[in-house]
Amino acid sequence: MRTTVKTLALPLGLAGALTAGAAGAAQTTLPKDLPPYGQDKPLPVPTITQKTLDNGLTVWVLPRTDGPPKVDVVLAVRGGKASDPADLPAMSDLLASLLTEGTRTRSAIQIAEQLQAIGASIDATAGNDGITVSGSGLASGAERLVGLLADVGINASFPEAEVKLAKANALQALKAAEAQPSYQASRAIARAIYGDHPYGRTLATEASIGKTERAALAAAHTARFRPDRALLVVSGRIDAATALTYANGAFGAWKAQGEAPAEIAAAPREAKPQHVLVERSGSVQSAVRLGRPVFAANDADEIPAALANTILGGGGLDTRLNRNLREDKGYTYGAYSSFSVARRGGAFTSGADVRNEVTGAAVGEFVKELQKLIDTPVDAAELERAKRAAAGGYLFRNQLQSAVARSLAANWLVGRPPEYLGQFVPRTREVTAEQVQTMARRYFDPKTLSIVVVGDKAVAEQLGAYGSFGATPAGD
Amino acid sequence: MTFRRLVLGLAALAIPLGAAAADRWQLPIAVKKLDNGLTVVVSEDASSPTVGVSVVYHVGMRLEPKGRTGFAHLFEHLMFQGTPNAPKGTFDRVIEGGGGMNNGSTRADYTNYIETAPVSALEPILWLEADRMKTLDFSAENLKNQQDVVKEEIRVNVQNKPYGLFFWTDVNRLAFSKWENAHDGYGSFADLEGARLEDVRAFHRDFYGPNNAVIGIVGDIKAEQAFALVEKYFGAIPARPVPPRPDVDEPLNTREKRESQTDALAQVPALAVGWKMPERGSPDQAPMDVLAQLLVGDSASRLYQGLVKGREQLLNIEGGLNWPLGDAWDYAGPAPLVLFGLYKPGVKVDAVLEAIDEEIARIVKDGVDAATLKRVKTKMLADYNDSLEAFISRADTLAKAQLLWGDAKTVNQIPAWIDAVQGADLQRVAARYLTAANRVVIDRTPAPAAAAAGDKP
Repeated sequence: MRTTVKTLALPLGLAGALTAGAAGAAQTTLPKDLPPYGQDKPLPVPTITQKTLDNGLTVWVLPRTDGPPKVDVVLAVRGGKASDPADLPAMSDLLASLLTEGTRTRSAIQIAEQLQAIGASIDATAGNDGITVSGSGLASGAERLVGLLADVGINASFPEAEVKLAKANALQALKAAEAQPSYQASRAIARAIYGDHPYGRTLATEASIGKTERAALAAAHTARFRPDRALLVVSGRIDAATALTYANGAFGAWKAQGEAPAEIAAAPREAKPQHVLVERSGSVQSAVRLGRPVFAANDADEIPAALANTILGGGGLDTRLNRNLREDKGYTYGAYSSFSVARRGGAFTSGADVRNEVTGAAVGEFVKELQKLIDTPVDAAELERAKRAAAGGYLFRNQLQSAVARSLAANWLVGRPPEYLGQFVPRTREVTAEQVQTMARRYFDPKTLSIVVVGDKAVAEQLGAYGSFGATPAGD
Repeated sequence: MTFRRLVLGLAALAIPLGAAAADRWQLPIAVKKLDNGLTVVVSEDASSPTVGVSVVYHVGMRLEPKGRTGFAHLFEHLMFQGTPNAPKGTFDRVIEGGGGMNNGSTRADYTNYIETAPVSALEPILWLEADRMKTLDFSAENLKNQQDVVKEEIRVNVQNKPYGLFFWTDVNRLAFSKWENAHDGYGSFADLEGARLEDVRAFHRDFYGPNNAVIGIVGDIKAEQAFALVEKYFGAIPARPVPPRPDVDEPLNTREKRESQTDALAQVPALAVGWKMPERGSPDQAPMDVLAQLLVGDSASRLYQGLVKGREQLLNIEGGLNWPLGDAWDYAGPAPLVLFGLYKPGVKVDAVLEAIDEEIARIVKDGVDAATLKRVKTKMLADYNDSLEAFISRADTLAKAQLLWGDAKTVNQIPAWIDAVQGADLQRVAARYLTAANRVVIDRTPAPAAAAAGDKP
């Protein structure tokens, strides 16, 4: 049950010729009879067939001849939560969930049963920059799966009764989510990082759910789901020609209507640090989060910053944060850090859930670890381990065709080309210790980070050294 | 527990492959047992230059000492705390620094240790796994550190979280009568704090020998090579005596049990229902798996369509056979079928139960039409294939099948067992197991004080 702490989202790097012994020598003496790592095999790079249909739809196909007999199909469209009206935050969540609840020719139950009949499922999710509709099913049903995905993407009809039920359920689900400390912490740190920028209001409120009407959903669907601002990825046991034939058959007649959503403004790269205690009476732990705005996707800092993050808290348990807060101090089940970058901005966040009595001490250890990366260059062995971890993460993801398809779609949404996938590891290999330190200076400086604590108000007295946490936020 | 795999195997042979035969995914499986009793299962797959490894020990929460609830899980954490040869930190450093990931999990019937990495890291991984099978660094400092970490894990997943996994721990407590099956496997803080180094030593000695384990290896390696490497690193570890396994079987319940709880953190009421299930290897197991899928497997399922849609009583419904800690095929002792859902304001729990009973009664009375049955089985095949895609999951599934079923090739047979299930089988198992008498029900409502907990925006 270490599962929750072990993120599988390792960033990417490549394997050098270092032995296990050499890699760890600088900090830990490794057992003398531990065998070295073997010779690394060449890194596979996915071959992607690219085509633009006559209506402007971009199609990428990754055929596979091995792995399970299944096909994955992903449709991504530009325009996500950041394009929602300011008074309807997270309207895109409702929009995405309702895509499979009825089309012009199929009811919700028909969609569910027809998917089941081909051993398939379709899930739609809304992100900051777009909506992603992901289908996966048995290879024998590939053509029908592409057809069903096209139907829910193009012809979703937002039946009144389904909208009403989805809103009622979303209101209760929001109530349930708000009881979770992690949800409260995410909301508060996003606000501190992004302020009034649309990336800062991507969670629903009672008011936004209540005010969302069928007409607004249908209008947003029409504006955002258009072939010239959409990508279709097909991967799995299917050849490129067949996949393109299916894509053309299902999506070829699709036409854009009306105006596309406007491009959103760039998010700020700096924010005045805030110190927020969200009171949760009776809480037996404090959810601690630190964060700040950073760069958007495709920034020159993106790859070196990701590597710096792997060292700090982006990997598994052998990270600076987990070695300290978990394995040395026993303060937490897991501490982490991450960069999440979007098309028009990004955020660095770090955090852990810790017992009440060590809340202040835990914040102190975060500050120490961040400062250490600023003050002291990482040694060669630790840098090399992080690069190998990055390569391993890439290789692991490539085992899973749905993960590759979804990565390609996510990259496209933030403006990265298809080649980015194969370039990440070689580019990561080039990062130097000096660059890692530069990234730490730019993005890890504790003085620039907002700090959010969700917990019992009694923990406030432990936080004085890190800022003025006196006031509880009023919320929305 | 009786071993009845053969019964299912014969049934499968008699049935021709269904329409989905082209989508059937058969894995190459090679098995070898070392002289010290360690069983090795290998499945080659050169589609990625990586491997998945799973070392599964035949001990879990059921066998932890009385008065030491949560010990099997605490022990799992201590397996990552170093050995006399490889001090604390070495394990994660070598695997993560080699491009890999690792994890462990504790379940009722087994504890598994899993890794995935570039194939270049396979030998160091095998060395590390063999090293901790031999002995551990039994230090008071490590024990204290992981007692703290496990308590934080329980705080984050149970004490500080609405619902707090009651659909696992409380359903088991209510449904089962033997201590081994009924106790809280996460453990009480008092029991966790009471754990001593001598307990750790004894548990390792008794349950962590090679003869009580299976290792699964999947990926870019030939079976013969993998066998040779496992022999090289594990071959010299002597077998150790394993204590006799207690009889943990128990019959189905004959009287419904209900419990009402309040939750100081929750804002929305929840309901959990559990029924005791057929034992592993029973001819009823595959039909029960299909019935669970029909009832709660996806958005076409009867309970989703009937209670979330339709009657609009629930916000959501989750569940399944051996849910949430496993699936229909990776338990050995008694296991429940569990349903968990949040219900809406104004809805009465009795009305939800009545609706569930109606859906079950409809199956008992009318059976299931052929088209529906075919759809359900097709989706199950797809989900089954998906569950085997990642090398790490495939290695783990194969190792568990070898450990719990005595035969890793079970993994290739399960799709045929599912395909062989007929409508009459579903009627039979619905009538036998999904009865009110065999059921436990927990209604969990927000405590009146809960309104004060949490920031309301």
